[in-house]
Amino acid sequence: MSPIRILSTILFLFLVFAVQESAVSLIHFPVTGFSLYVAVAISLIASEDHNGSLVMGFLAGIVLDLSPTSDSPFGQWALVFTLIGYLFAVNKESIADFTSSPITFVLLVAVGSAAAFALDLGFGAMLGEENGSIKHDLIISVGNGMWSIIFAPIFLPGLRYARRFLLTSKER
Amino acid sequence: MTQGNGNRSRLLLVILIVTALFFITLDLRGVSLTKGSRSVSQTLLAPVQKTVFTVFSPIGRFFSDVANFGNTQSKINELKAENSALKSKLVKDSDIAAQFKQLKGVLDLAGRGQYKVVAARVIGRGTASSFSQTITIDVGSANGVSNNMTVTSEHGLVGLIKNVTRSSSIVLLMNDPTFKVGVKITRSQSVGVLSGQGNDVYTLVLLDPAGMIRVGDSLVTNGSEHNRPFVPGVPIGEVISVVNSTTSLTQTATVKAYTNLNDLGVVSVVIDAPTTAPTAPIVPTPIPTVTVLVTPSPIPTISDSPAPGDLKPAPVITSNKKR
Repeated sequence: MSPIRILSTILFLFLVFAVQESAVSLIHFPVTGFSLYVAVAISLIASEDHNGSLVMGFLAGIVLDLSPTSDSPFGQWALVFTLIGYLFAVNKESIADFTSSPITFVLLVAVGSAAAFALDLGFGAMLGEENGSIKHDLIISVGNGMWSIIFAPIFLPGLRYARRFLLTSKER
Repeated sequence: MTQGNGNRSRLLLVILIVTALFFITLDLRGVSLTKGSRSVSQTLLAPVQKTVFTVFSPIGRFFSDVANFGNTQSKINELKAENSALKSKLVKDSDIAAQFKQLKGVLDLAGRGQYKVVAARVIGRGTASSFSQTITIDVGSANGVSNNMTVTSEHGLVGLIKNVTRSSSIVLLMNDPTFKVGVKITRSQSVGVLSGQGNDVYTLVLLDPAGMIRVGDSLVTNGSEHNRPFVPGVPIGEVISVVNSTTSLTQTATVKAYTNLNDLGVVSVVIDAPTTAPTAPIVPTPIPTVTVLVTPSPIPTISDSPAPGDLKPAPVITSNKKR
């Protein structure tokens, strides 16, 4: 990733983060909230190449760590998304098959979102955070995945369009 | 992955993980750089949140109304029935209502009236990317708000101030799993600890092994030292079920809060508490009482039992007796 690409990606992620914090979070979704940011981050990670997935994961995590409402230590989401990026990187060949079909891509985003929350929960538990009952945490993780299935088909076309702008001319 | 590419990927992975762990360590050690970055992002986001709230709050409310449509309709019917019952009761109990009004005035004077509050609008809800339950309000240090202040709504406790910038604050809601507050049962004055569960029910654990919780018991905050983080006497909710466990030394109960945390529009932050401790026992004004001492006459025999009017009149002593 070139420095310009990294900078433009951070700006784009911060824009999505601002939309998440100021607009999406105002909507009271049934069951549990929907994290647009996590779904977008997973989509971007899945669209990158090997090293790109890792860097994109780390950047996405760092931006999410800036969330003022977050209780977890700064860097925890960076760790979570870096590991998610690694999982995507080592399974790139099969992931590429998943991203080629819109339906499987949506399912991938949903599973990735739920997995990200589960990983965050695991690291939180290791760091001694109190995150409530297992049932409550399960509802949040699975609920986010469920909302991702519903909303991913809406934002994915726009995200692909936005990603083309983020790529440098050489990468295009 | 080719060999060279794989090695570079692994090296990159190690670097990124070590960096993340470095940040986590710094944060857990309380380095201000990481704490400050969140304050900066909150300061940057607050104006955006205020603007977006003004524009998009009707949409958010629409979704909320749709989600709660069934509940709202049944609640309206329930409230209508309750309202008519209360109206008829009000007519019958006009005498009691006058006394109650006086009592209520005294309680209000002793409780809520002594706190200085700042009203605030809710401009954001906690992100769904976190397991914590928070809201963002549009008052901050410029309005006299600081960390660990009590936040209330028209119905009762909402939470406490967790983080403050100049123009906005983050409130940790009482349903957050990490939230704990000392409470008092108004009926028995037993104290306990109420914990959030992440949803709209709460767990109460009584501290007194001999204490009893009953369904319908009302809870208020017990208050903290120097009124931080909780001022005393703020209504919290009522007990909806009691758990009797043989393995537990004290009783536990499930509590439903008075405040609906999903529908907060305006809240108030208690920024000043009374100078006299409201938790101190209230000493009533001495009231003159009359004590009547009766000296019984010797036990009469059946043959010469006197008539009730024949008893000697007892001396009457009047004194001021303090309770």
